[in-house]
Amino acid sequence: MNKSRVVILRSQSAWAANGRPDPAAMLRMFRRGLEVLTGSSLAEDGLRQIFYPEENIGLKISTIGRRAISTYPETAMTLGLWLAKTFGREDKIIIWDRTNEELKDAGYRLSRSAGSLKILGTDTPGIGYGPEPVVNRSVASLFSKIQAELIQASISLALLKDHGLAGITGGLKNYFGAIHNPNKYHDSNCDPYIADLFETDLIRKKHRLTILDALRVQYHRGPSYHPQWNDHSNKLVFGLDPVAVDTVGWKLVEDLRARKGLPSLEEEKRQPAYLKTAEDLGLGQSRLENIEIREEEV
Amino acid sequence: MKMNRRNFIKTAAAGSSWLLTLNQLKGVELLPAARAAVAGTNLSRLEARYYDRLPDREIKCRLCPRFCQLGDKERGFCGVRENQDGKYYTLVYGQAASYNIDPIEKKPLFHFLPGAMAFSIATAGCNVACKFCQNWEISQMRPEQVKSRHLPPEVVAETAASYNCPVIAYTYSEPVIFYEYMYDTSLQARRKNLRNAVITNGFINPEPLAELIEAVEAIKIDLKAFNQDFYTNYVRGELNPVLESIKQIARSKVWLEIVYLVIPTLNDKPEEIRQMARWLAAEIGPDYPLHFSRFQPMYLIKNLPPTPVSTLERLRDIALQEGLHYVYLGNIPGHPGENTYCPNCGQPVIERYGYTIKKINLSGNKCRHCQQVIPGVWS
Repeated sequence: MNKSRVVILRSQSAWAANGRPDPAAMLRMFRRGLEVLTGSSLAEDGLRQIFYPEENIGLKISTIGRRAISTYPETAMTLGLWLAKTFGREDKIIIWDRTNEELKDAGYRLSRSAGSLKILGTDTPGIGYGPEPVVNRSVASLFSKIQAELIQASISLALLKDHGLAGITGGLKNYFGAIHNPNKYHDSNCDPYIADLFETDLIRKKHRLTILDALRVQYHRGPSYHPQWNDHSNKLVFGLDPVAVDTVGWKLVEDLRARKGLPSLEEEKRQPAYLKTAEDLGLGQSRLENIEIREEEV
Repeated sequence: MKMNRRNFIKTAAAGSSWLLTLNQLKGVELLPAARAAVAGTNLSRLEARYYDRLPDREIKCRLCPRFCQLGDKERGFCGVRENQDGKYYTLVYGQAASYNIDPIEKKPLFHFLPGAMAFSIATAGCNVACKFCQNWEISQMRPEQVKSRHLPPEVVAETAASYNCPVIAYTYSEPVIFYEYMYDTSLQARRKNLRNAVITNGFINPEPLAELIEAVEAIKIDLKAFNQDFYTNYVRGELNPVLESIKQIARSKVWLEIVYLVIPTLNDKPEEIRQMARWLAAEIGPDYPLHFSRFQPMYLIKNLPPTPVSTLERLRDIALQEGLHYVYLGNIPGHPGENTYCPNCGQPVIERYGYTIKKINLSGNKCRHCQQVIPGVWS
């Protein structure tokens, strides 16, 4: 069996003097991440292996934590502009999440202007959710029209966080922000809901790449922001296998917890069992022995 | 006419319900705070009741048996109560996503002010997720995903009174999740000598239910099935807390009626219905009405046919055999099972057609034929 490759890049220069991610460092990390992930000597060629030029690409970010703990605009904008430059059109890239208010609170400036990156929430007038529930196994949800209609390819640019119910939240759970009723899917450690949601055609067939933003990791008491348990890890994690990336993310969270003297998620009875469920559905690898982890300093 | 969901609702509502448009709420002066709220967001922000604060800005909701434990910025299963920086808020106080005038028989309540009109309100949200929900467009939504109008409690009571509705009904979605709005409105209603009827799944904790019981006059419980598997697979709730609610209400002065939606092959086993009827007779007595309602395919269960009338009739017979006095059939306009029969002389004491009262043979609270007391709230 071919192992799923997951790339962890670490950069001591990830942060600018203002305490925000440095876009130049972000670009270096994105480029190197794609090179290692795809085996291309040129990162842009790696992108072209994953996306077609005519596709609209969605960057599903996480802004529920508002300014305190969301995908940094510097990170998402850098990735968006790099994609746009590679494929020749800014307005084919959509950076998005549930609501405009959350995006603005997280520091994003909304944009629907022709010729520029689009940054918008599902609640933008004229967008919204589809009219009929999409049903797959345990989930039945209305989908954001951004995910359902406006994009053909998707990147889950998710924050890596501890999650009080799911265990961890990463690239798979990030798609809870694509449906109208995520509050219905937090029972039983979000299992099997996270896997069942990802398996829907509207996500599985469009998802191409996961990038976990682990520049700072909320390793305890997440997903809310608690500065005493938030670590500057300075990492981005890349993978084409969405389950493998989150599995590696789980390991990073556990490593941090162990280093800080906290019990493991398993000891707290909230290990992310949905990863095994996702593997059982054929969505990817949830066992570390089946994952090739490549770690580099940039 | 093809009986899709839209047509079904249209048929069911025809001639018996008046949809209120915003313009029809003329003459009802919105308070300044309400005007401000209408101008802004459709989310309210009133501190919720029945929750505990936990360390690290977490909270635990105590309103319903889910006991949602939430971190900052998270919402409960209901989707309408949110932890904001360690404080728990209801987002739907005064935010009516639906308001309408219905006959009380539509709820259905058959032994509670027959023929009365009920000013009926609902907000977005629900604490269960029934796959057969008739009102999923509001119940399974978050408040920001539906259109709503700011109708604070005093305006609801004023509007009900101005339309000569003696009852305010909390219905359509699940009133437990807009508890604060319902409770405050019920107090306003009483000031205007109006009555309050709660149409609920009964999935609520004993403490808030005890307080609610003191503020309302009637509660109708949707008992979805008499086994936990159905509650797990089709409701995403629990049966036992609902049964406890039924017992708690029956011990109070509040009028209680129970509705059981019969879904072919899923919850229509005669033996289970017999067990349920026995349980009701033993735990709350034979006098609280039990309604068997006919299922129509909708929402996530569109692959099953409407309930055969013969099934409903058989289940009604079983419940009567088990000693229940008032067993009705619903969603079958014109069926004799819509009528109230005196358990003593067998004569009809209230004759109905759909939501319409055809004839009442009651003298006060007694059967006009034999003077048997018929339990209920008749005036």
